Amino acid sequence: MYALRAEVDKMYAAGEQASTEGKPVAWVMLGQWAEPILTAMDVVTIYPENYGSACAAAGKASDAEGFPSHVCSYARNCFGYSAKMAELGGAIPPSAPMGGMPSPTVLVASAEICDARFKWFQALGRYFKAPIWTVESPYPGLKESLEEGTDERCIKYLVRQSREFVNFLEQLLGKKMDWDKLDEIARGLAGINRLRWEINRLRRAHPGPMHSKDLWSTITAAFFRGAESKAILDGFQKMLNEVKQRVENGVSGINVPEKFRLSFDGLPPWHSLDIFDKLAERGWNFVIELNYKPGTPVNIDLSKYPDPLERYVRERYQSTNNTLEVEYTPEEAAVIRDEIMRTGTSARLAVKHVLDCQCDGTFIHILLSCRSASLNLCSFQQKAMDILKVPALILEGDMVNASLFDPAEVLKKAEAFEETMAYYRQVRKEAGISW
Amino acid sequence: MFAIFFAGVDLGSTMTKIVIIDETELTVAATVKHTGAEHRRLASQVMKEALHTAGLTINDIAYIVATGYGRINVPFADRQLTELTCHARGVSKYFPNVRLAIDIGGQDSKVLQIRNGKLLDFIMNDKCAAGTGRFLEILAGTLGLKVADLGPLSLSAKNKVTITSPCTVFIQQEVASYLSNGVPVSEIVAGLHDVIASKVSKMVKRLKLEPDVVFTGGVAKNIGVVRALEEHLGCKILVPEEPLLSGALGAALLGKEIVLNALAKGQTVPKSERRLEEAKLFT
Amino acid sequence: MVTADKVQGLAKARAVYQDRTQRVKELQQEEKKIFGYLCIYPILELLTAFDIVPFRLFGDINEPVTKANNYLPMVVCPFLRSYLDLGLKGKYSFLDGIITSHICDVGAGVPAIWNYAIKMPYSYHIDTPHTLRESAQEHHRQLLDSFQKSLEQYTGQQLDPGKLVAAIGKHNEQRVLVRELYDLKKPDPPLISGVETIQVIKTIQSLPVAEGNQLLREVIADTKERRDKPARKTSRLMLWGSILDNTSLVEMIESLDASVVMDDTCVGSRPYFNDVKITENPLNGLASHYLNHIKCPRTFISDYNAQQKDYEGDLKRRYGYLGDYSREWHVNGVIMEALRYCDTHGYEVPSVKDYLNQIGLPGIYLEHDYTLGMISQLKTRVQGFLEIIA
Repeated sequence: MYALRAEVDKMYAAGEQASTEGKPVAWVMLGQWAEPILTAMDVVTIYPENYGSACAAAGKASDAEGFPSHVCSYARNCFGYSAKMAELGGAIPPSAPMGGMPSPTVLVASAEICDARFKWFQALGRYFKAPIWTVESPYPGLKESLEEGTDERCIKYLVRQSREFVNFLEQLLGKKMDWDKLDEIARGLAGINRLRWEINRLRRAHPGPMHSKDLWSTITAAFFRGAESKAILDGFQKMLNEVKQRVENGVSGINVPEKFRLSFDGLPPWHSLDIFDKLAERGWNFVIELNYKPGTPVNIDLSKYPDPLERYVRERYQSTNNTLEVEYTPEEAAVIRDEIMRTGTSARLAVKHVLDCQCDGTFIHILLSCRSASLNLCSFQQKAMDILKVPALILEGDMVNASLFDPAEVLKKAEAFEETMAYYRQVRKEAGISW
Repeated sequence: MFAIFFAGVDLGSTMTKIVIIDETELTVAATVKHTGAEHRRLASQVMKEALHTAGLTINDIAYIVATGYGRINVPFADRQLTELTCHARGVSKYFPNVRLAIDIGGQDSKVLQIRNGKLLDFIMNDKCAAGTGRFLEILAGTLGLKVADLGPLSLSAKNKVTITSPCTVFIQQEVASYLSNGVPVSEIVAGLHDVIASKVSKMVKRLKLEPDVVFTGGVAKNIGVVRALEEHLGCKILVPEEPLLSGALGAALLGKEIVLNALAKGQTVPKSERRLEEAKLFT
Repeated sequence: MVTADKVQGLAKARAVYQDRTQRVKELQQEEKKIFGYLCIYPILELLTAFDIVPFRLFGDINEPVTKANNYLPMVVCPFLRSYLDLGLKGKYSFLDGIITSHICDVGAGVPAIWNYAIKMPYSYHIDTPHTLRESAQEHHRQLLDSFQKSLEQYTGQQLDPGKLVAAIGKHNEQRVLVRELYDLKKPDPPLISGVETIQVIKTIQSLPVAEGNQLLREVIADTKERRDKPARKTSRLMLWGSILDNTSLVEMIESLDASVVMDDTCVGSRPYFNDVKITENPLNGLASHYLNHIKCPRTFISDYNAQQKDYEGDLKRRYGYLGDYSREWHVNGVIMEALRYCDTHGYEVPSVKDYLNQIGLPGIYLEHDYTLGMISQLKTRVQGFLEIIA
């Protein structure tokens, strides 16, 4: 299960090597659209968000000066690190965790997932002369996403934008895109996504065969390592096989009998992951998560599209239409579609993972420095209770700043929350909800 | 030849300080009293005391500048200036080469960038108790100690604990936990001083760390905090003999400057009614 | 209480400011449709062209947030929490619809929460892009086509291009009038205070465009003739930052020895300092204006094809207009303000400071949290800053 965890170390090693060999290095952000283009052009990709979590886990997060205290703690770590690098004339600060991040040739920001991230990289202009590119991603409103023409418009936008990005990189690097390599990497990444999606479907089993900690250990492999997508595809195939076997043999993701099934909702507290071991001893199995979900696979005949960029975009673009088609029965999809057109939203979409995995509770981690990950958690808590009668344990914390999260508080609340979860099993039974 | 006098009134949240100087900038009176809840009434009382010490009446004072948290509640003041500007001026009188001043009072802390007595820039913390005198008061209470004992006690510590909580309330819990685990009190106190020094050094980093660095305010009397700051900032910290008076002194000095500037331009300086009574809440 | 119908000019602006919904509710009685809109990216001209009255939505600093605590965590923009709270309390229940756009992370997410918790007869979300690259310009242009189609469905009418051009004319007229008003802040002392400016801007954003224009003409005439001018102060300040939908911060600043003579905020100059170009297809001019002309940091402005970052050049590209404003309005200091948890402006602060250092203009950063208590805490900082720059 943990073999893919090694990709984290390999990523930083690749960065170090690139720096030594004078190869171009991009600081990139978690997202779909940049990684295959960069790696197809032999740019080594490093992810400062991941570096934030690595520094947090090592207890060596940096802090930023001059920025308001509420900005993303991944960004704060990056600003602190970059400021030190700038003081050292671009050299990696000594004793930087994971060997540090080499100075970037290009900064590739993203407005996918959250806008704050492109503001973060824009602010790095104080420390680096590296040019910056911001990847955009369309986020139509839910009702608007079902309008005729929305999907095509968004796909065309992404294709045009990707082409602009390729042109920019070709000029910057003085070389042409290797379209065959892009195709190969793109298929690899899409394949990885599909395998993750299949694994997540298996995680519905009782007992849950794969704990959230296992999932989090694979994030780097899943998203950040396009250049190694073939090898990683292999790794995820092995993971899928292992999970299948666990399901067949009734093997749990925790070493004790599963008493409670939980979803983890929010970004993980990277600095305090051992709290999950303590909770596991109580029989708490975190069987699924809200964040880092695999995208819904798109079943598409790629041979219809001669443009490799268009092939990649169509294969990965997440549309409401596709989600409804693939993840729901036609009857369920019709109900949800009707809800969206009448009211602009559907609460069922938000709680699907809780329903599919039949969770007894949700662990909501409100992050004091991440608005985009925390914004919907309160309404999510309401929806889980309204629709599924599943209670929530809410804790405030942060993904990097350990002083904002109190593991002892979690353990103090655990027993009381177990009683709450047990009580709501009864409530669900009376309401005719199946678990 | 007759003498001219100027007064500075620093009405802080914890302490009220008044300094009267003459035209040669010699201090003729300096009074410090606890502010308490009735600070409006107290300013007049403390002023009467200071005048008595100097052998003066209120009308002998050419100009009175009020500063500090309660500066709008000094009805006999001719002008109000912030404690930021006044501290910068006062600290420069003590240490003419000061470039950075750290002031930690009862309920706030500030860092001032100064050049030739003039305030260039500042950082204030008045939101978070951790990093102020109040923080030490609360924790001294938790430890059953007097605030005045904290400094020497911390210097006797062989080690210091690491406090990780961000907030005074949680720090109290952390301290209670250390105590119950038998950690020496001196080490806990040293850890608390480190919290203050760490918070202040973060503020300092947002400005420019340049000597001379001066430390004022009630907390500057705590030798443990002085040493902790020196460790964090990596430089010598200078502390005036009376660290509470720099605001009031600066206010008096600025009052002198205002009067002399006006005289040089042939202008008169508007003055208040000089009523030595408590300020009314509602006009 | 003086009602808006009984007075003119500045007095009328103040009266409408006290009760912003009075006029739009009257119009609803006359069967007019009223759509609320959040922030300054929704295309107002399209609403006006369909005879829908745009009504800008705000929070209320005087109303403690209660109901929104169930839907939004504390760590998000307090203005948007207040806005949602008012919606949950039914203060916006009179609206016929709401238009939102992708302004920021929370601003883009709150509409979905609103739809879940509050039922609106109509809502539309415009996913405004963040860059100004060709692909983004094209995409934004197409978004306007979809918005137009949606409004056609809602109203049951086709868009009349003539009415759209007329609407652009009226809204451009408003922009010109606002700039004329701001010109009255150039003299020393300015003829209209910063507090009054916010009152006027908030008022015109609560009225149909033609009525807003009429009010502006009256206010301008009033202001030129007024005897009760604001007092001359030592410092002339410019405000930069996130939304200030009430006068409390500016009141505090102007109670000291300073006037706020210019601003770069959205209940201020931001929507008004460029005009929509009338293009053959009017939607082209509109799409270009709303994406390119509004200088909010939610848009990533950059030399997109630069092979190397030129930081100083980047600062000039992003903030050069602030330098122009400071010269034209004879500003001697800048107050950068941002709401706590505002990422859009929070990340900008060091860069804005760097730019101000570049042009030798002093600045101070104030963070506030949409409470009156916090405003009074900031007074010492502002006064200290004024003592430095005086």
